[in-house]
Amino acid sequence: MLMNIGYGHFLVLAALLFAIGTAGVLLRKNVLIIMMSIELMLNAANLTILTFARMHGDLGGHSFAMVVIAVAAAEVAVGLAIVVAIFRGRRHVDVDKMNILKH
Amino acid sequence: MSGNMRARAVTVLATFVGVLALALALVVGSSGSVVTDASAQPGPTAVKPPPRSATPAGKGVSDRDVVTKQAEAGKPAAGKPKTRPGMAIAFWLFAAMSVAGSVFVITRRNLITGVMGMVGTFFALAGLYMLLYAHFLAVIQMLVYAGASMVLFVFVIMILNKPEDEPYATTGKAGKAVAGVAMAYLVYRLASVLLSVDSTVTAPQLAAPAATSQGYDWGSTAAVGWNLFNEYLFPFEAVSILLLVAVVGSIAIARPLKDDDGEVLADEPGAASQGGA
Amino acid sequence: MTFNTGDLLYIAPFLVLAVSGMLLVLAEAFFTGKDRTALAGITVAGALASTVVSIVLYRHLGPTSSRLLFSEMLVADRTGYVLSGLFGVVAALAALLAPSHQRTHGWVVGEYYGILLLTASGMVLLAQAANLATVFLGVETMSIGVYVMTALRRRSRRGNEAAMKYFLMGAFATAFLLYGMALVYGAVGTTNLVQIQQRLVSGNLGLLTVGSFLMIAAFAFKVAAVPFHMWAPDAYEGAPTPVTAFMAAAVKAAAFAAMMRVFGQFMGGDKLPYGVIGWASPMVVLAALTITVGNIAAIRQDNIKRMLAYSSISHAGVLLVGLCAMGLGSASGKAAMVYYLIAYSLTTMGAFAVVSYVGSKDNERLDIEDWAGLASRHPAAALAMTVCLLSLGGMPPTGGFFAKFYVFKSAMEAQDQQLLWLTAIGVINSAISIFYYLRIVTAMYFKDARGEIATTRSAGLVFVMAACPLVILEMGLFPNWWLTL
Repeated sequence: MLMNIGYGHFLVLAALLFAIGTAGVLLRKNVLIIMMSIELMLNAANLTILTFARMHGDLGGHSFAMVVIAVAAAEVAVGLAIVVAIFRGRRHVDVDKMNILKH
Repeated sequence: MSGNMRARAVTVLATFVGVLALALALVVGSSGSVVTDASAQPGPTAVKPPPRSATPAGKGVSDRDVVTKQAEAGKPAAGKPKTRPGMAIAFWLFAAMSVAGSVFVITRRNLITGVMGMVGTFFALAGLYMLLYAHFLAVIQMLVYAGASMVLFVFVIMILNKPEDEPYATTGKAGKAVAGVAMAYLVYRLASVLLSVDSTVTAPQLAAPAATSQGYDWGSTAAVGWNLFNEYLFPFEAVSILLLVAVVGSIAIARPLKDDDGEVLADEPGAASQGGA
Repeated sequence: MTFNTGDLLYIAPFLVLAVSGMLLVLAEAFFTGKDRTALAGITVAGALASTVVSIVLYRHLGPTSSRLLFSEMLVADRTGYVLSGLFGVVAALAALLAPSHQRTHGWVVGEYYGILLLTASGMVLLAQAANLATVFLGVETMSIGVYVMTALRRRSRRGNEAAMKYFLMGAFATAFLLYGMALVYGAVGTTNLVQIQQRLVSGNLGLLTVGSFLMIAAFAFKVAAVPFHMWAPDAYEGAPTPVTAFMAAAVKAAAFAAMMRVFGQFMGGDKLPYGVIGWASPMVVLAALTITVGNIAAIRQDNIKRMLAYSSISHAGVLLVGLCAMGLGSASGKAAMVYYLIAYSLTTMGAFAVVSYVGSKDNERLDIEDWAGLASRHPAAALAMTVCLLSLGGMPPTGGFFAKFYVFKSAMEAQDQQLLWLTAIGVINSAISIFYYLRIVTAMYFKDARGEIATTRSAGLVFVMAACPLVILEMGLFPNWWLTL
């Protein structure tokens, strides 16, 4: 268990990181923290993919992970652009204070 | 940001880098016996959880089990189950580092501290990728995430110039409770499933995998590149469309407002009064 | 497994959209002057060209033949080309709506057109995907494009806020989608959907189940199914109306195209959905919840865009019923889904075109009371809206009626009549939905106008308002041809 590291270790670690990211999205209010938590979730998924790629001996998983990294980077760029646009207008990035649109 | 704060951030980063260097040394030391067996074809195979052996994984696995698992995972048949302390230590170091970094992200008030935690997590993940023989991806991970994404975050934090932030949101809301219960259920289901994968654990599975059918080391730049430009040629090219959308879109959204961009709309209640809030 | 030049022919709709999108982005960079109507013209040309190419390829392929492209990343078959053609048409309609809305409401942004076509190219990827990697890429190209389009009205706080909410929810859903894909990949050892289909029975069941559940949750976010719908009314209300129309019509249709591929086609079949992986059991619950909650919430709305948002949530529920039927081996499920997607998309575009038409500068007229007496001032617009609303409510002789009819009929044909209760819920809700659709009709026809109703006029807008109701009526009166698609 401690000295014999197997795929299960990597998978459970990834699940843990995914759960931490989800908790971050649900608990925090700051947009930047939420975005970082989402990045964390994507990374956890990537770790899962690479573990399974190793397990199945399939390099396709590596290419998939590569695509995911590109997508995540693009998502960060657009998300931060929206944050900047919002901040121009209201000078705070607190999700719960975004209340022009009624719930 | 106060000087104290900056010193703390530097310390955190230095610790991470130190741990990373140590772990890298361990990985390099432990992967001395790289087995390259061209006859073992790495190929996707249907994976069934093999019959659970009564003994704890890795300690006393019977020969038959080892052989079937090795055949399933496309691994060379060489190598008895033997413990690899270097790899285990590196794994636990990186695991602790990544979890600590991510907990940092979701608990700290200070945004810069959060970013530092995130950088640490990304480095640790890169280390884990190396343990999985995904060397190319590990480098890309460091370059893109730690090098680019996080720098972007820091830039935006500097633009906003508002590193302090209120801590936790109120969690008493019904929706969040429901979400929490759903997440707990999900984690429970997930853990039970992932532990069933865990039953396939044997030490040799983490030995060096066979080279690809082109003769490249598994997970090397050449191997991933070969796959990327053959099997994944189309997604690889089509990602460029997505990146184009992101680039053009980010500029279109975030460029400075000009006079001809239209006026603030009249239909917005309290548009002016909320400005300073 | 080498590159085959002939494959390029089969992704021509994608290529046409992507190339014209890139040209538009370039054109915007070199464009001088304030008017962007010329860009809209290029957009319509590009989008319609891709539709024409889709039609040509559709006729080139046999009814049952399919061809795997680029190392089985994409698949060319008739369903894919029908949906590609639909996305081309909807993109063209969204381009037609934009110039007048941009001029009237002061957000003249030329990037809209380029991003619109690039987004549509992502949708075409979804319609033709045969690999989880392509599905992921298509979903992301589409989503990121739509986040950007939502935020393009930059002076509008509503627009920014809507974009932020949409982005956060969408990115959150993406993480779930990816994690679900990772688990499915782990279960079967490949992301290739054709091979996944063959290995479903032999794969690790636990991983498959959890993975497909996570993917369903993520797609439910994307199509705004209850309980993952909270972002939709805000995003729909805050986005500029042409973008809302595109979001409601094309994004939803594309997400369903992906679900039809992944769940209906490759993970569906005889005993699979309930028995082995069990994805149908959460999906029927989602469908029942979505239809009901969407409808009940729509009754309470006074804002037309929010009402249409909730109504589109309810329509997503009906589409989920069709998806379950398709996965449970109903022979007519796929045809019913395709018919529904076409009818729903065109109806939504028509309805939002009227919403866009009725607004004027500084007064978007989004409250239902603002529409009082529209019939006496602008009878043609009121008539177009009425046809669209009747179609949304599923009344004959419109396309919406037959869409619902065929979906419920295919649900009845599912194995062992398992979906009978779902059909009953759907029919009851269709009856309820007529109430709130008729509320707008009543306001338009039976209430007195309060003063003059200024409108936004442009040839493109009027064309969309005229064409969509006509096609919907045609679909309702002569449904047979559309069902053979």
